[in-house]
Amino acid sequence: MAVSSKYFPWAKKAQETHHNDHDPRQHLMLDPKPRGEMNQMVMESMYTTSWKFWVVFGILSILVALCFFYAWGYMIAEGLGVAGVNRPSFWGIFLVNTVFWIGISHAGTFISAILRVFKSEFRRPFTRAAELMTTFGLIQAGASIFMHLGRVWLAYWLFPYPNERQLWPNFHSPLMWDLLAITTYVLGSTMYLFLPLIPDLAMARDRSTGWRKTFFKTIALGFRGTEGEWTHLRTAMNIFAFAIIPVMFSVHTIVSWDFVMATRPGWSSTVFGPYFVIGALHSGMGAVAIVLFIMRATMKHMDYFIRAEHFEAIGKLMLIISMGWAYFFFNDYIVQWYGGDKWTDTLLHWHESGPMSWMFFTMLIVNIAVPWLILWNKKWRSTPWLLASVGLLINVGMWFERYIIIPVSLTINRMPFTWKLYFPRIEIFLTIGTFSMFLLFYMIASRLIPLVPVWEVQEGQMAHSMRKVGKTQVPSVSEFE
Amino acid sequence: MSETTLLALFEDIDPAADAIEKLHEMGVTDEQINVISGVPVMERMLGRPLQWTNVSRIALGGAVAGFLFGAFLNWGTPMLYNVPVGGQSTFPVPPGLILLFEMTMLFMLLATFLGVFLESYFPNYRPLEYVPEVSDGKIAIFFKCPQDEQEKFIEALSESGAESIGPAEARQL
Repeated sequence: MAVSSKYFPWAKKAQETHHNDHDPRQHLMLDPKPRGEMNQMVMESMYTTSWKFWVVFGILSILVALCFFYAWGYMIAEGLGVAGVNRPSFWGIFLVNTVFWIGISHAGTFISAILRVFKSEFRRPFTRAAELMTTFGLIQAGASIFMHLGRVWLAYWLFPYPNERQLWPNFHSPLMWDLLAITTYVLGSTMYLFLPLIPDLAMARDRSTGWRKTFFKTIALGFRGTEGEWTHLRTAMNIFAFAIIPVMFSVHTIVSWDFVMATRPGWSSTVFGPYFVIGALHSGMGAVAIVLFIMRATMKHMDYFIRAEHFEAIGKLMLIISMGWAYFFFNDYIVQWYGGDKWTDTLLHWHESGPMSWMFFTMLIVNIAVPWLILWNKKWRSTPWLLASVGLLINVGMWFERYIIIPVSLTINRMPFTWKLYFPRIEIFLTIGTFSMFLLFYMIASRLIPLVPVWEVQEGQMAHSMRKVGKTQVPSVSEFE
Repeated sequence: MSETTLLALFEDIDPAADAIEKLHEMGVTDEQINVISGVPVMERMLGRPLQWTNVSRIALGGAVAGFLFGAFLNWGTPMLYNVPVGGQSTFPVPPGLILLFEMTMLFMLLATFLGVFLESYFPNYRPLEYVPEVSDGKIAIFFKCPQDEQEKFIEALSESGAESIGPAEARQL
C-alpha cells in the first residue's frame, strides 16, 4: 500500500523539504550567470579591500616579522640551544609543524586532482583555493625543516657534489627520500596550480589597468584561448591530475617512513604510511572548510560561488575521512597494544595517563567524536560556520596527533635514565610565525589572483542541465571530454 | 588577389558551429580558420578537426629522462662514492625504487609543464588577433578570405548569428 501524506503528516513535510532540496537554483552549476558578470564579480572580489583587511594584514605582517624572521634569525645567531629540543626529544615542534603543513598541503591535490579525475562537479569553484593551500602549506613545511636543520646555511650539503671533505648524501636514507619527495611535490603542485590559472590571468589582464595590467599581462604569457592552447592545457592538466596523486601519496608515506625506519617504541609500525596519508587528508579537508568559510564571509560575491552544497559535499568527505582515520588509528594502536613489548606498553600507558594525556584524549574527541556527532546531519554539515568550526577542531586534533607521535613518544625510549618531557621554547613563536605567514600568503593571493577559476565554473555550467525523468526534473551532466 | 583576415564574434557555440559550416561551404579550409574562446570548446562541437598536441610525448620523454637520472643517483653515485649502510648492499633495490619513482615523476611533471610552453609558444607578447570579449565567454572566429569577397562573407556570417564582424586586428595583449 502506498504511503500517503494524508495519514503521515511528517511525510508531507519531508516531501516539501525534499522539493526544496532539489531546487536547481541552489546548485551553482544550475544557476548560471553570463560569463562577463561572473568575471566582474571575481574581479570585484579581488579589488574590493576594506579597512578590516588592512588591519588583519598589518597584524599578520608584524607577527611574521617578529615570530618568523626575528625569532628564526635569533635562533640562527644563538644556536639551537634556544629551542626546547634536547635529549631524548631531538625532534620537536619543528617536525610536528613539518608533518602538519605537509598534511595541510594534501587537501589541494585531493580536491583538485582526485575530484577532477573522478569528475566530481562540486569541486569547480574552489579548486584554486585548495591548490593554493598545497603551495603555501609546503612553503611552511619547508621552512620548518630548515628551522630544524639549525645550521641552515649548510643545507646545500644535502646535494651531491664533489667536495674535499668527502661529505656525500646517502640516497638510501629516508631523510634523503624526504628531500626528493617534497621537492617533487612542491614543484609539481605549483605547476599544477599555475596551469589552470593561465586563462583566468588572461581574463584579469583584459579587465585591468595600470600596474595590474602589466602584472597580469606578464604572467598570462600571451594566452588567447586558441584551440591549440586549450588542447595543450587540457592534456597537461589531465597528466598532472593523474600523476600528482601518487606523488601526493608518496610524500606523506615517505614522511611516515622517517619515523617507521627507526626501531623506536611507538614508531615501528607497518600501517604508518596509510595512517599518515589519511591523517593528512583529515587535516587538509578541515583546512579547506575553514578557508572556504573565510572566503565566503569576507570576500565580495563569494556567496554566489561557494554555497551550502559545497560545504555539504566537503562535510561528507570529512566524515568519511574521519572514519578512515579512526580505522587506521585503531589498527596502529591495537597491534602495538597486543604486541606486549615492554617499552611500547610503557609508551602507550604514558600517552593515556602521562602529563600529556589531555592532548591524547582531546585528539580522539576532536578527530573522531566531534565529526561523527555533527557531520552525519545534512543541515549541520551544510552550515558554513559549523563546518569550519569542525574543521578547526580537526586541525587542532591533528596537530596534537603529530605532537604525540613526535616529542611525546620520543620521551619514552629503551634507556629510562634519559626520559625527559619536551617543553618547547622559541618553537612556540616560530609556530605562530608559520601560521601567520600561511594566512598572510592567502591574503596576498586573494588580491593578486582570481581565487575562483571562472572558466572552470562556466565550463561546468555549460555541461549541466535539467532533465525530466517521470514526473520530476533531475540535474544531468553532459560529458564534453 | 590580396587576402584579408576577418574576425566574427559569436555569443554561443551553436551559431559559431553553423558559421564554420558555412565557411566550409564557401570554400574556406580548416587551416584558414582559427577559433578562440574563453572556455575549452571541444573541436567536434564546432565541426573542426582534432588538434594535435605533443604534450603527452614530451611528458613521456621527461619520464624517461627522470628514470635515467634516478638510476644514476641510485646506482651511479655509489660507484663514485660508497656510503656503507649497515646490512645493505651497495646497490639495494627497495630504496632505489623510491628514488626512481620520485625522479621519474618530477621530470615527467616538469616536461609536461614545459611542453605546454613549447607547444603554445609561451610566453608570447607579440601583437596577435584577439578581442577581450572572448574572456567574457564569447567565441571568436577569424579566417582569411579574398578582399573583394569580404562583403559576401560578412553577410553569410551575419545570417549565422554573428554579433559583430570586422577586420581582425593584431593587438598587444
